[in-house]
Amino acid sequence: MSLSRRQLLKMGVVGGASAALTGAAMAEEKPVAPRDAVAMLYDATLCVGCKSCVVACANANGLSPDTRLDPLHQAPADLNSFTKNIIKLYTPAPGESGPYSFVKRQCMHCVDPFCAAACPFHALSKDKVTGVVSWDSDKCIGCRYCQLACPFETPKFDWDAFNAKIIKCEFCKERLARGQEPACTYVCPKKAVIYGRRDLLLREAHHRVEKSPGKYFDNRVYGEVEGGGTQVLYLSAVSFDKLGLPNLSADEHPSRWLRWQERVMKGFILPIGIYGVIVGFLKQNFREHDDEMNDEHKKTGLLPQI
Amino acid sequence: MTTDNRQLTTVQSDLSVVRWQRGVPIFGVPIVTRNFLFLTGLAIVGYILIVYRQIFGLGAATGLSDGYPWGIWKTFNVMTLTALGSGSFPIGIAAWIFHKRKLHAVMRVTLLISFLIYFTGLLAIAVDVSRPWNVYNLLSVFRWNTMSPMWEVLWCMPLYCLFPLFLENTPPVLEQWFYFFPPIRGLVVWLIPVIRKTYPFVVALAYTLPILHQSALGGLMLLVGNQVYPLWQTPLLPLLYVWAAAFIGVATTIGALMLCCLAWKRPLDQSILDELVQLMSALILPWVAVRIIDIVLRGKFLLMFNSGFRSYLFWAEILLVLVPVLFLRQKKYRESHYHLFSSCVFIVLGGMAYRFDPTTFAYRPWSLTYYTPSVIEILISLGFISTCIILFLLAVKRLPILPAPVEQWYDLENYYKRIYPYIQMSGYGDKDQYRPSYAD
Repeated sequence: MSLSRRQLLKMGVVGGASAALTGAAMAEEKPVAPRDAVAMLYDATLCVGCKSCVVACANANGLSPDTRLDPLHQAPADLNSFTKNIIKLYTPAPGESGPYSFVKRQCMHCVDPFCAAACPFHALSKDKVTGVVSWDSDKCIGCRYCQLACPFETPKFDWDAFNAKIIKCEFCKERLARGQEPACTYVCPKKAVIYGRRDLLLREAHHRVEKSPGKYFDNRVYGEVEGGGTQVLYLSAVSFDKLGLPNLSADEHPSRWLRWQERVMKGFILPIGIYGVIVGFLKQNFREHDDEMNDEHKKTGLLPQI
Repeated sequence: MTTDNRQLTTVQSDLSVVRWQRGVPIFGVPIVTRNFLFLTGLAIVGYILIVYRQIFGLGAATGLSDGYPWGIWKTFNVMTLTALGSGSFPIGIAAWIFHKRKLHAVMRVTLLISFLIYFTGLLAIAVDVSRPWNVYNLLSVFRWNTMSPMWEVLWCMPLYCLFPLFLENTPPVLEQWFYFFPPIRGLVVWLIPVIRKTYPFVVALAYTLPILHQSALGGLMLLVGNQVYPLWQTPLLPLLYVWAAAFIGVATTIGALMLCCLAWKRPLDQSILDELVQLMSALILPWVAVRIIDIVLRGKFLLMFNSGFRSYLFWAEILLVLVPVLFLRQKKYRESHYHLFSSCVFIVLGGMAYRFDPTTFAYRPWSLTYYTPSVIEILISLGFISTCIILFLLAVKRLPILPAPVEQWYDLENYYKRIYPYIQMSGYGDKDQYRPSYAD
């Protein structure tokens, strides 16, 4: 393959640019929560499993009760299209000893949300001030990539509807806007789940851990750094994976994996650069090909095929 | 001809060497055959079931659930089959940028296969997304999430299919119109210089866009992190996906060419097939090396052997792709139709397995949900594949796409002169008005 100096220079520039971009992408950034980020602190050791929060959430969000499994009771089996917040129970397997524990599951409102990174049109987006991750029906195309991306399996989908929605906890943002706290934290009789600023609740959680060393699993707060950090924090006596919270490390967050794509596609500079180089090659080769085809056409009397 | 014996034998052996020189439609063969009717029936069943899916929702029509939101339409029809339809960009780059002139003869077939597979893949996406009325957001620049591989796929694949790939498939149609519909001849003659002027820009787009979206298809699974088994999950996933698309596409082209030529009794051009096999092995051998070296460098070497059925899956992918290529390095296997075709089938299967596994068999969501496709899902998927094959058969029997030696062209002209006496497909040497030129 014969390359002119100009072509070589062009290729070098493009190659160098892409190498620089990938090098820059390798540098890691730690996700930082908004300054006034709201948060919930759920202490599983205080929860008695009364499920007032489940009822309050459904009321506040205008969701009808899930009576599919039991016609007399609101009894969802899991988060689903009727349920944005649920209480589950962990009991040790037969033969194992250890405490049981309730766990409250809802959207974790991650500091670097997987669903918002996944969504092609920002239908799921993180509020810049409060950090609440919410869903916009005007932008969602129903591709369900958010469901695939979320490690907590939070976004739930309306599988039976034609006008399907993504259903997940949105931190009662209308109540927040009115100056009230979320419905679940408001009704909890044991103050097992409380509402506040993320920095203050983290401090409170650390204070509880220091006050009772050994009471809480691993003496840590789940959500402080896991998956880049979340705005719903957990304290528990049993290990977090028994409660269904996945074992994520601090650097398993979307920016780390996808920043390269954002950089490569920035202003479409790199794709257009590659396109320009290829056009250059093609124009030259097309000319040669055309001359060959015209010679053949004159010789054989057959029209050339483009 | 001289009396030198050596020269005589050279001429004779030259006559027995086949060269593909022009695209020629398959003539003298009926379009509606038993297989064609079966495929049409399958496609119609698929379309009826699509209506069912729209009326009763995804939950009733598929085996999907919140723990497993992507089914075979996305993971098979789009992520796997579009790799089969990615032959046009590696062969095109080899033909136009690396001066492998011989490969021009097969460009039309590979472009047709690409277009049809991508088109039916886009149909699969259209049926799979649940709120398609919001797709206008593609045009709303402020709503673009440039970090999302899904965004990348959603604009790049339709743009690629409907713009450069579609335009590159128009020349056979224009040629058909030129010869068979005299009233439109003027339009065609006017269009051809326009096409020639814009061709480099369109074709360059047809090489840039597949690289972008095939790597984005790999990037889709990056976001689920450790839910994909470490033998597959790697930061190099986009690179390996686009590389795999390249060699799977070439293997599909070889297989499709062989199948078509053997089915309709056309001669095979061994030199072009050799060229394609060389391209394929140049793509496969480094790919296998990069894959294994990446696993070793990430410290997951032992997982290749102690992961149970996933080890078998991994080695099946590697060996299905590697062993045929090593066999094809020998001339006797390349020249044996049986060995060449079965090698290509194995390579395509191995490549498809590589593209399919990170989304299904090597994917374990944290909630440990299971998924099996429902019958309706499988039938709709088969409906799309049947549509692709039906359109391919129609195109290949009516348009000058499949490569053949020049003698076939004259046979074609003689065949059609009986039906349409006005047909003229040769003897244009002295008519300057039909001689296209880049300088025009």
